[in-house]
Amino acid sequence: MKIVVCVSHVPDTATKVKIGDNGKTIDPKDVTYVVNPYDEFAIEEALKTRDAVGGEVVVISLGTDANKESIRKALAMGADSGILLKSDSYRDSLSVAKALAAEIKNQEAQLVFFGKQSVDYDAGIVGQLTAELLGFNSVSVVVDFKLEGEKITAEREIEGGREVIETSIPCVITAQKGLNEPRYASLKGIMAAKKKTIEDKEAAAAENYTEILTMSKPPAKSPGKILGEDASAVPELVKLLREEAKVI
Amino acid sequence: MNFKSDQSEIQDYLNDAANFKGKCERVYLPESVDDIVKIVKSANSNRKKITVCGARTGLTGGAVPQEGLVLSTEKLNKIIKISSEEKFAVVQPGVFLSELNEKLSELNLYYPPDPTEQNCFIGGTIATNASGAKTFKYGPTRNFVQELSIILPDGEMLNLKRGEVNAKNYILSLKTESNNVIEIGLPKITMPKTKHSAGYYITENMDAIDLFIGMEGTLGIITEIKLALIKKPAKIISMVIFFKTESEALQFVKIVRDLSKKYPGATDKINARGIEFFDKNSFKFVKGSPGLIPKNTGAAIWIEQETTTKSQDAILEEWITLMETNNINVDESWIALSEKERKEFEYFRHSVPSQVNEYISRNNFRKVGTDTAVPDNKLEEYYNYCKQTAENSGIDYVIYGHIGNSHIHLNFILKSQQEYEPAKQLYKQMCIKAVELGGTVSAEHGIGKMKREYLVDMFGEEIVKEMAAIKKTLDPKLILNIGNIFDPGIFN
Ligand SMILES: Cc1cc2nc3c(=O)[nH]c(=O)nc-3n(C[C@H](O)[C@H](O)[C@H](O)COP(=O)(O)OP(=O)(O)OC[C@H]3O[C@@H](n4cnc5c(N)ncnc54)[C@H](O)[C@@H]3O)c2cc1C
Ligand SMILES: Cc1cc2nc3c(=O)[nH]c(=O)nc-3n(C[C@H](O)[C@H](O)[C@H](O)COP(=O)(O)OP(=O)(O)OC[C@H]3O[C@@H](n4cnc5c(N)ncnc54)[C@H](O)[C@@H]3O)c2cc1C
Repeated sequence: MKIVVCVSHVPDTATKVKIGDNGKTIDPKDVTYVVNPYDEFAIEEALKTRDAVGGEVVVISLGTDANKESIRKALAMGADSGILLKSDSYRDSLSVAKALAAEIKNQEAQLVFFGKQSVDYDAGIVGQLTAELLGFNSVSVVVDFKLEGEKITAEREIEGGREVIETSIPCVITAQKGLNEPRYASLKGIMAAKKKTIEDKEAAAAENYTEILTMSKPPAKSPGKILGEDASAVPELVKLLREEAKVI
Repeated sequence: MNFKSDQSEIQDYLNDAANFKGKCERVYLPESVDDIVKIVKSANSNRKKITVCGARTGLTGGAVPQEGLVLSTEKLNKIIKISSEEKFAVVQPGVFLSELNEKLSELNLYYPPDPTEQNCFIGGTIATNASGAKTFKYGPTRNFVQELSIILPDGEMLNLKRGEVNAKNYILSLKTESNNVIEIGLPKITMPKTKHSAGYYITENMDAIDLFIGMEGTLGIITEIKLALIKKPAKIISMVIFFKTESEALQFVKIVRDLSKKYPGATDKINARGIEFFDKNSFKFVKGSPGLIPKNTGAAIWIEQETTTKSQDAILEEWITLMETNNINVDESWIALSEKERKEFEYFRHSVPSQVNEYISRNNFRKVGTDTAVPDNKLEEYYNYCKQTAENSGIDYVIYGHIGNSHIHLNFILKSQQEYEPAKQLYKQMCIKAVELGGTVSAEHGIGKMKREYLVDMFGEEIVKEMAAIKKTLDPKLILNIGNIFDPGIFN
């Protein structure tokens, strides 16, 4: 079976992000990018599924040449080939989904893994949109996945418990933490990945329905105040809590 | 000046990472050198004992008071200067190592000494001559200390710059800021040719600054530090390699060590910067991906190598070949080329001691863990001795450590308090064995209050008395860090 994994290439959550001069994007300078953490679960599940039922795993990422680093990582973990859908202008989630859907259709894939959410823009929607565009079944935020023949049994975390869903391929699964423990690339895997191909394709054009007006950082926390070290500071504290912070 | 004396507020200061407990009357939080001088002078006239503390991640009770006052360096936490051109940093003692590293990384600079615990203060690392994985390539903290400002136990200020004052014929002559000259006679000892942090560092023509690195606060309070830096390595390859047996792992360590020593500066040949070891028992404590450890693993090592973008592929090929010729399953190894994953391996390594210490604290035991190192050619003999000794005892244990430096931490995992005394006996045997093989009883944690008798096992009573005499010269009223390195009885 042909299995596709969609991978987004995102700023490492440990890097300090600055807003760009246009006030609409981040400043990419000095930012290190990594595979979107949820997509690591998607890659691992795709590899496990391939190893169990046979077939191949194709990694797709939409973005610029820089995304190849994340594709390469998936190849080092064991994916068979990669596709970069080239696009260097801003796209909203639906526009991303349309380009991904076009390529997935072209690949004739039956099973597609996504992360539940991309930690850059956090829309949490590309997987479901893609499923809809393709007319595939879809289960989101999956923490357990089984494929027997054409039948899929997937568990999702819901408030206060778990929901078990049965469906069948063709299907889109979006991965949640807990689905599996993503493997580290092996030394051999890293070298093998260098020999695997990453195909460059133009991403299918699609209109944006949303536009980013401005981007800003959360307001900086105001510094704390030390009023004193012992009981003598209490009256002042009470006064400020009442008049300034207005919490009592 | 800021101090705390409410017992509920000072509990944190009465304990360290080894769960060694103490007591005190007051904790001072000085914010300047003047504050410290005042505290020290007044303690001298009132004969109050002072214990200096850093982040209290120490593993020997060194920062834990037995009486008197605690002087915490936590508010002396400024990075005073970082020079990218001349590659140095000037810091106060209370700066976290992790914070310094973060700042340096932004400036493309690097400070190699890396005790596994990064939430320690720079001051603490100087006072214990801390070391870590990268000591294999770069040596311990000592190698990076260029200047120190120290307040001596009588309140006098001493500034030392590497290369300025050397001992002659085992005699050191120190001049304080107010031009007082202090003569110190040094015992004629032979230090082991291993990593070593037990007692004072002494050689015939030693640099004065070296006496104060690793002195565990017994000779003064460090108030300012100038550290040498290097350029941040361009690329790092980080690998975790799994073995069926410990002896296969030790065999491979030897091969990697020999190759690395052959080309010390190379980034285009096999040249590890650190080699770290985990026995099978350590996997019970490991956090971060324990489920990914291959089945039937008997031991693992974590290796890092610095390289360049240009050489990376060729180096990886060399490692694969080396591993294959040594019958290692290359497919089961883990590799990290990104900083994010490298940090995950670091966390994996750090989780072992941190979970072991956590287990000890949770059960209210005391740590019984070796910090011994032996010459490289004795490692296997020593490893097998320790393992066999522990096996025979029936007490649970784990072995991990800085194997590149032939330095292992065997920690007993006590099941009950009854096992403490027998474990301590075995621990002593392991110290004595390390010394017999030409090694040391403490390679990095220091002696503190928990390991004093082993210092005597190593150097003998006479030498330890001569070391104590150095302290007595600088601290005639015996007020500073009493109980560290020397049993207080030695001064009677
Ligand atoms: C301000 C802004 C600027 C952008 N600039 C560009 C740009 O210059 N060039 C460009 O190509 N895109 C750009 N994008 C889109 C970006 O690359 C991602 O596609 C988008 O961030 C996905 O975020 P999301 O919150 O919609 O995804 P979510 O819906 O949270 O993602 C869910 C899952 O969808 C999959 N997925 C999401 N995005 C991609 C992707 N790009 N490729 C493959 N799989 C994916 C992953 O599996 C992910 O886990 C921009 C987006 C925004 C909002
Ligand atoms: C999980 C774990 C792993 C560890 N791994 C390593 C390792 O790999 N290598 C290693 O070397 N250590 C290791 N340690 C021990 C510890 O982290 C180091 O010894 C560290 O250098 C101590 O720093 P600190 O600031 O916590 O010092 P503290 O514990 O507060 O003090 C240590 C000693 O230094 C003295 N001191 C502190 N500051 C000053 C000062 N300004 N002037 C004079 N004396 C001072 C104290 O009196 C005390 O004797 C580990 C600890 C833990 C918990």
